[in-house]
Amino acid sequence: MRSGQFTWQGQTISFRPGETIAAALAGAGIGDLGRDGAGAGLRYFCGIGACQSCLVRADGRIVEACLTPARDGAVIAALEPLA
Amino acid sequence: MSRPQEHRCDVLVVGGGTAGMAAAVELAATGIRVEICEQSARLGGAIHRQPADGSPAAGLPRALGAQWQRLSQSLAHADIVQRTRHIFLGIDSDGLALFEDRAAGTVRTVRAAAVVLAVGAVERIAPRPGWQLAGVTTAGGMQVMMKETGRVPSGRILIAGNGPLPIALAAQLTKLGNPPVAVIESGDPLRRPGAALGLIAHPHIASEALGHLARLAVAGVPWRRAAALTAIERRGETLFATIVDRGGRTTQIGVDWIALHDGIRCNAFGLPASGDAIDSRPLIVRAGDCREALGAIAAEADGRRAAHAVIAALRGGKIARDGSSRRVAGQRMAQALLSELFRPVNLANDPRHLADDTILCRCENKTVGDLRWLLGQEGLSPREIKLNGRFGMGACQGRFCADSVMAITAASRSASVPEDIEQLTGSRWPLRPVSIASLAATETPTADTNHPTE
Repeated sequence: MRSGQFTWQGQTISFRPGETIAAALAGAGIGDLGRDGAGAGLRYFCGIGACQSCLVRADGRIVEACLTPARDGAVIAALEPLA
Repeated sequence: MSRPQEHRCDVLVVGGGTAGMAAAVELAATGIRVEICEQSARLGGAIHRQPADGSPAAGLPRALGAQWQRLSQSLAHADIVQRTRHIFLGIDSDGLALFEDRAAGTVRTVRAAAVVLAVGAVERIAPRPGWQLAGVTTAGGMQVMMKETGRVPSGRILIAGNGPLPIALAAQLTKLGNPPVAVIESGDPLRRPGAALGLIAHPHIASEALGHLARLAVAGVPWRRAAALTAIERRGETLFATIVDRGGRTTQIGVDWIALHDGIRCNAFGLPASGDAIDSRPLIVRAGDCREALGAIAAEADGRRAAHAVIAALRGGKIARDGSSRRVAGQRMAQALLSELFRPVNLANDPRHLADDTILCRCENKTVGDLRWLLGQEGLSPREIKLNGRFGMGACQGRFCADSVMAITAASRSASVPEDIEQLTGSRWPLRPVSIASLAATETPTADTNHPTE
């Protein structure tokens, strides 16, 4: 496990070894993860993959930020463009 | 289309938390080939979520620290195949268990003689205006994040809801240097001496709770009992929480974070039914909180109980008795006492009182008003409420709205008891959204007959 950096909406985010995408974003003070296709707001909530409200697009795939380990060089984006 | 690669094992354990780990260890000790699959990158589940950097977990009550030592060491010495980042999708009509392997980006299919389902619990979160906002988490979600990162959220934190978990979270935040501004509790435990006395028979629980309360008292954290958080509004950078107290007075508190928790329920949504092996269908046994939400001590014993049931079914003979069922029964009594102790007295969060514009189903962005409009049509079945109204249809499969949808439905029909939520949510795979790319990468024979969502 290594530390590294990914981008969120073009912004560079550092993560510590083994951290999930959600933990790294929270560490950078980012709580608002945008909106999904139904117009519902996205954010970290349950932490165990159950609520599906922290979905992000990681290298093109939709995943739960709370379950997905951050990867060096990953490109992470909101499901819908942020207003 | 080629047939998928079928992997085989004797017993498949779904879920790498307390119950799943205990079941796997017990099964492997008898020489049974066991595979344990976990959705996240490390075993442990919610209670034993390990720090991301590999450092030892801190801050758990002593009984739970000892439990982790026992389970993790037994597992390390056992011959058990461990698969992480495997999302359980269900069991198909051929009896194959399906997982999305997130690391490989494929669907993996496993044929087992028996499947132990140990997928834990989810928190109950009563819908209130604003519960869907960024900065609002579940209390368990905040705990899990703290366990993983070792960091406390910075800024003002408010905890609200019901039960012992809010106090445990508050004590943990206090210990790590950022005490919450208050804990809002809808019950009134200090006025239920009967239930409190009963807990003397469960000294671990009693001493843990008293330790938490002492820490909060020393730090001056108000524990506002018989009070309810009824609404959240964001103005600029601040979340404003509306609190209704014992006498019905309303106050507002401005904070940066809000953690909600209104109890725990089985995470049984969409799970295949328990039952004997028939034709190609494996024996299916549930273990731990997804069978009955009784907490981590019970989950370990229940994992062992489930393992003994599987061993007896596969090998013949009687189910071994080692006191596991007795231990589960003891925890059932303890949880019943806690429920009585914390029974809500402030009923301001009753879903019948919710304003029409309150978000009920976050995944589909559906409001209480949308449901009330739907219920204006006579005699809709729960299935029609789902299909016509999209309640329980979204990505979380009703885990966070089904209880409230059925409660509001029952109230609108003057029914005293809501219908079973499974009438709304149904039970079919996939249990979780799976990417079409993963399904295509596996070419399962069923991939084109179901309707996976992305």
